[in-house]
Amino acid sequence: MRPEINLKHCKACDICVYMCPNDCFSRGVDISDRGYFAAVVSAPEKCFNHGRTKKLICELCVLSCPDQAISWKDESTGDEGSGNEHQTG
Amino acid sequence: MDIFDFYRKDQWPHVFCPGCGNGTVMNCFFRAFDKVGWKLDNTVFVSGIGCSSRIPLYINSDAIHTTHGRAIAFATGIKLSRPELDVVVFTGDGDLGAIGGNHFINGCRRNVDLDVICINNNIYGMTGGQASITTPHEYISTTTPRGNREYPFDLAEIAVAAGANYVARWTTRHVHELTKSIVASLNKKGFNFIEVVSQCPTNFGRRNKMADPSALLEWFKESSVRRDKARAAAVDHVDLNLAGQITTGEFVSRERECYHERTGGSSHGDGH
Ligand SMILES: Cc1ncc(C[n+]2csc(CCOP(=O)(O)OP(=O)(O)O)c2C)c(N)n1
Ligand code: SF4
Ligand code: SF4
Ligand code: SF4
Ligand SMILES: [Mg+2]
Repeated sequence: MRPEINLKHCKACDICVYMCPNDCFSRGVDISDRGYFAAVVSAPEKCFNHGRTKKLICELCVLSCPDQAISWKDESTGDEGSGNEHQTG
Repeated sequence: MDIFDFYRKDQWPHVFCPGCGNGTVMNCFFRAFDKVGWKLDNTVFVSGIGCSSRIPLYINSDAIHTTHGRAIAFATGIKLSRPELDVVVFTGDGDLGAIGGNHFINGCRRNVDLDVICINNNIYGMTGGQASITTPHEYISTTTPRGNREYPFDLAEIAVAAGANYVARWTTRHVHELTKSIVASLNKKGFNFIEVVSQCPTNFGRRNKMADPSALLEWFKESSVRRDKARAAAVDHVDLNLAGQITTGEFVSRERECYHERTGGSSHGDGH
C-alpha cells in the first residue's frame, strides 16, 4: 500500500512531513486548487507498508493528519485500501 | 472503513486552521469508534463553545452544541432521560476547566456515564488567544503579553481526585496511545475522561515561537513523560507544566457505580 494525499483536503500543515519516520513526504511546491502548497508523497517506497496489503503498521501519517487527507492506495491494483486494516498497536 | 462515513460530507473540509490538533483528535476518535463497533444512530455528541466544541457539527449524528461551559450538564440530562443512548462530550480547556469547571468536577463525582474528550490547547483559541486556566507559566497570550504569571490547572488530576472512572492524558503527538485510550474509554461505563494536550498553532503557537504545527508537536514530544517513567525518575506527576512537563499515561481505571444506576435514571425517561 502507498499513502495518498487528497488535494481537496490537504491544508499544507506539513505534519505528515514531520511525523513520518521514513521521510516519505515532503513539503509542497505546487499550489493546489484550494490555495495550499499541499504536501507530496515523494518516497512511498520507503513506507513500512510498501508491498503490504493488510495488517498495515505505523500509520502515523494517516492518524495525525488533521484534515483526514491521507488514505491508502493498493500499489498492485490501484484500488483504494480499506481503513479496517488499521492497527492501534 | 471510510472515515468520511462518520462525517457530514457537506460540511467538509472543516473550518479548523491548518495544523490544528482538533482534526487529529477527530481522526483518532473515529478510528477507535469504528474499532469498538459503536453506531452513530445510538450516539449523541454534546459540546459547549470553542473551536474544539465545534467537532460535533461535523459528525453525521445527533448532536447538541450547547452554551459555553455547560456540555457536561446537558450530557448528564441526556444520559438520565435516555440511558440507552451513548453520550460523548467534546470540549476544550476553557469550556470544561474554566467556565465549566464545576460541572466537570461534579460530573466526575457523580460518575455520570459519559465519554469526555477535552482538547487542551492551553488557550482560548476561538476568541483570539486569551490565556486559559491551562496556559503554562511564563507563556505568552493576548492577555498575558509579558508571560503568564499564574500556574496552570491539571485537568486529569482533578478528574482523578473527583472520582472519574477512567482518566488518561495524551498529546496529539501520541496518536496510537490516544486511539487505544479512546477504545478503552468507549468500552467502559462511567465518567471516562481523556485530556488531549493539543496544538493551536494560530493563537498559541504563533505567540510562543512555535507557529509551525510540527514545532508544537516536537515540544509535546520533548516535554512528555510517561507516568510510570516519571515515577521511576521520582518526578512529581501532579506537576504538569509546573516543571515544564506533560505527564502522559492512563492514570486511573476503576469500576465505580454510575449515576443513572444509583439514581434509577431509566425511570426518568420515556415520558415520566
Ligand atoms: C457565557 C460565555 N462567555 C464567554 C464566551 C466567549 N467564548 C467563546 S469560546 C471561549 C473560549 C473557548 O476556549 P476553549 O474551550 O479552550 O476552546 P478552544 O477554542 O481553545 O478550542 C470563550 C471565552 C461565550 N461564548 N459565552
Ligand atoms: S498532515 Fe494532512 S493536511 Fe497536513 S500537509 Fe500532510 S496531508 Fe496535508
Ligand atoms: S505509514 Fe508510517 S512510514 Fe508509512 S508513510 Fe505513514 S508515517 Fe511514513
Ligand atoms: S484558532 Fe487554534 S484551536 Fe481554533 S481552529 Fe485555529 S488552530 Fe485550532
Ligand atoms: Mg482551548
